[in-house]
Amino acid sequence: MRNRYALDPNFVRAKRSKKKIAWSIVYYLVGATLSLAFILPLLYMFAASTKDRDGIAQSYGTIMMFIPNFGSSSVFGQNYGFIFAEKEIWKYALNTIIYAAVIIVFNVIINGLAGYVLAKFKFPGKGFFNFIILFLIVVPVETSILPLYSVVNDLLGFNARNNLNFIGVMLPSMISVFNIFLYTQFFSSIPKEYEEAMHIDGASRFRMFFDLILPTSKPIIATTAVFSFIGVWNDYVWPRMMLPARAMGDTSWPLETIQAALTSIQEGGSSISPGQIMAALVVTTVPIFIVYTIAQKYIVKGFGTAGLKM
Amino acid sequence: MLLITLIVLGIVMTFFLVVFVTDMIKSHKSKNQKYHKSEVIMAFVFLAPAVVMMFFFVILPIFMSLGYSFTDYDLMRPSDIGIAGDGFDNFRQLWKELSEHGLILDALINTALFVALVVPIQIGMALLLALFVNNKKRGTTIFKVCFFAPVAISLSVTAYIWKEIIPVDDLNTRYIAIIWIVFLSAWQGCGFQMLIFLSALGNIRKDLYEAAKVDGANVFQRFKTITLPGLRPTMLYILITVFIGACRVMVQPMLLTTYQSQTVTISLFMYKQGMEYNHVGYSCTVALFMTIFMGSITFLQRKLLGEKKK
Amino acid sequence: MKKLILAPLAALTLGALTGCGGSDVDYNDNTKLKIRFHVDIGSVEGMAYSQIINDFNRENEDGIKVTATFVARSAGDTTYDLELQRDMKNGTLPDIITFDAPKCAEYASYGYFYDLTNQFSADEKAKFVTLNTYKGRLYGIPIQESSAGIYYNKRYFQEAGIDVSDITVDSPWDYARFKSVCASLKARHPSIVPAVMRFKDNNSEMATYLLYPFIYASGGGFVDETGKQALGIFNSAASIRGYQFLRDLYDAGYTDYKVEEQSFYKGEAAMLLSSGWTIPLMKDYTTTFPDDRNSWGLLPYPKDVTRASANGSWSYAIGNNPRTDKTNVIKLLKYITSAKSSKKITNATGMIPANVDAQETYPANSAEDVLLQQLEKTSIKRPDTVGYRQFSDTFRMVISSLGSEDVATLVNNKATYLQSELDKIK
Repeated sequence: MRNRYALDPNFVRAKRSKKKIAWSIVYYLVGATLSLAFILPLLYMFAASTKDRDGIAQSYGTIMMFIPNFGSSSVFGQNYGFIFAEKEIWKYALNTIIYAAVIIVFNVIINGLAGYVLAKFKFPGKGFFNFIILFLIVVPVETSILPLYSVVNDLLGFNARNNLNFIGVMLPSMISVFNIFLYTQFFSSIPKEYEEAMHIDGASRFRMFFDLILPTSKPIIATTAVFSFIGVWNDYVWPRMMLPARAMGDTSWPLETIQAALTSIQEGGSSISPGQIMAALVVTTVPIFIVYTIAQKYIVKGFGTAGLKM
Repeated sequence: MLLITLIVLGIVMTFFLVVFVTDMIKSHKSKNQKYHKSEVIMAFVFLAPAVVMMFFFVILPIFMSLGYSFTDYDLMRPSDIGIAGDGFDNFRQLWKELSEHGLILDALINTALFVALVVPIQIGMALLLALFVNNKKRGTTIFKVCFFAPVAISLSVTAYIWKEIIPVDDLNTRYIAIIWIVFLSAWQGCGFQMLIFLSALGNIRKDLYEAAKVDGANVFQRFKTITLPGLRPTMLYILITVFIGACRVMVQPMLLTTYQSQTVTISLFMYKQGMEYNHVGYSCTVALFMTIFMGSITFLQRKLLGEKKK
Repeated sequence: MKKLILAPLAALTLGALTGCGGSDVDYNDNTKLKIRFHVDIGSVEGMAYSQIINDFNRENEDGIKVTATFVARSAGDTTYDLELQRDMKNGTLPDIITFDAPKCAEYASYGYFYDLTNQFSADEKAKFVTLNTYKGRLYGIPIQESSAGIYYNKRYFQEAGIDVSDITVDSPWDYARFKSVCASLKARHPSIVPAVMRFKDNNSEMATYLLYPFIYASGGGFVDETGKQALGIFNSAASIRGYQFLRDLYDAGYTDYKVEEQSFYKGEAAMLLSSGWTIPLMKDYTTTFPDDRNSWGLLPYPKDVTRASANGSWSYAIGNNPRTDKTNVIKLLKYITSAKSSKKITNATGMIPANVDAQETYPANSAEDVLLQQLEKTSIKRPDTVGYRQFSDTFRMVISSLGSEDVATLVNNKATYLQSELDKIK
């Protein structure tokens, strides 16, 4: 940094920007304070995950509450070791990632195709579809979770416990009315000329979707993928309804998602310390955090291009 | 089940056919809007997966939920669903509870208070944060990640941490408990709307600002004449989605206080009645009214704030 | 990549085709039984159940093979109920199911449970302190029992000059003495909260379980024998007196909504209302209780016009499934409720065995002895009503608002609410 200023030949401009520097300091101070306000609970979560029961209790209400303990009394290793080795949370995390991956692939193809049609095709009944999409965004879907449960049950014929239940976990998330809406908006912004050029070359509509529309729509795909991922990762009720039971002596790989593992740790009672619960919370939060940090610039781009006209 | 499916399928198909035929007749009358047969066929082929999925996992459950509101469907007696009295017993029950100042009135008041507070606060916070980070300064990405961080955490984790922070007596006090939930929800949600505002801000042409500067407009004038109008379409989208999300608020009160009159919301009331007290039929009746209410408000918002032209 | 996408789709189609093939349970084969536990499979309690089922499979001479499934308790009641509901619809209920005792009336009223009245002899029934009945019929046999009391910090009591050595289950303290003990504690240690009355736990069944005896002790109640009438009982003058006692403790600063279980362990509170499962935890808090059992004691529930204490835990019931010959199921039920099995479970959970043959004798006036005596002499069940959840929610609403609203008005309002909810049940 210092080198830069030293090499800067334009001292006049540097002088004029004195006021600007003062503003910058204010800006960063305000920014840092605000940021802190938003991540303080997260800091607490992480700090608590490195402490034992007494450590959390003693630091509570003081500034030490937000400062992790890596000193000699740290139980960081034990807490995370317990979560990974004993509770095998990584298995559940991996499950969730696999579910999310399958959902995202289907989601992009199914909803993408629908969005493509609604954005680019002329066909009778188009207005009807557009209306349905907007209408369904408004309807509170949570209230129909019970009917959804019986539909999925009957559709997959879950008469007894069988090994196909995990498909039920993924099925309803493969369709997203909201994503169709986003795709329609985004695809509308792709210039007609590209398609016409491909049409002259004799490409089929199917080819156009995979070779033109999808490759030019990375921002919106990233956006919907992130939403799907966050949705699947944080969903708790639905997977629990689909995968309630485990059989005795069943040492096979569990099918449950990460949130199921988390609640089961939270409900562990007195045998599990608050620090261990916090460690589990950290483990379930960090992947989302990473995914978002990587994808955030695509999300801004995706929404920007989509325009979001309702 | 099969019967219900066929009935709903019939209703949806009839609607679609009416629209389809009217569109066809229209195109025959006007010269410039002709359909190509191959395009129409491709459109329906592409739409098919989404339509099938949407039918089973979105539309059918909604219709079933609608139908249940006239029945005495009891969660624990799934094979014995009959019409409730003359079909309107649930509606009478709802009216009775409302007129007798039952818990549903608390739920209504709490939800209204929550929506009235959280919509302006969350959108306002999001806009301020977006304006704050909408520049080329170094380090704004870190701020953005911090502001978005709460969005990435699941609601159950948020509630778990906030429970440690909110004074217990506040959660037992009418109105104050709701204000805490407003604060928690805005804190958790505004990062998402900030992103959408950011993408909209990125779409506003920079030369407009330069021109206004030359004309001597100050920061506030520029904000009023350029930024706000530029955000208008996005604002409508954000208003509608935040409003709908706010109307559905359930998890926060459920995890913070469980079922208490000072925090109960309409969604939580429906959940309790349907999933725990087994009155699925009654729960669906409440859902029906809520959907109608939310739909009409959304419609009004679009009419009042939507683009006048087109 | 394409294969990866197609595989689930193929599996899906296959599932839809084969799914209607019926259940994997043959209800004519009486050597293959199913049992379902509502507990996390990996918990100590879950492992104890697995052990018992393994033992049964090994020991029985009729070639009976029991398979067990576990539905995590952490997944909530709704998940478990949906699972039962799905089985009920398809006629595939397991042969034995576990359930939380207060919900007996609800499940029985829906016909999920098989009537056990004539399957157990009077002698066998006498082995259990409580039984799960509904409308005079027997539907469930408890797995384990529980009792609760007031834990106290001996050092604080000594420093305040309080002597409680005369308090026993047979001659307990009354509400006035409870208050005067609180007053002495507060006078001696103003910064310490005299009692953790678990008001903060109004977000879980814990508050209902620990506080309902106070209303019974005042001569009050919640619902009538039919379980459908709450108005006039929930808000009777005697009931209101019970709630008023709790309110008095709050008003005098003897307890509040901030103190929690941990406050007692940390030495921030002098008394803790809690269940027997607290006993094994105490030795972990050496700072507050350096001398384990000599540093803390357990007192029975205080009495008002009568004595009352909490009880109830998990129970077994036989599922009302298409199996007509229940002989082997009864055999299994008797095995898993025997003294031997009962002991195995309570060794894992630290609760009181439901079968009296498995109950040990403890030194007089030890914590365990107080709990056991209370269970036999003063315990009262939580109300038997089909609307138990509605009752528990209402009770917790009262506890949550007890500190801020007029007691009589509050209890009257909530009684009206509970009545309207009970009226809704068909």
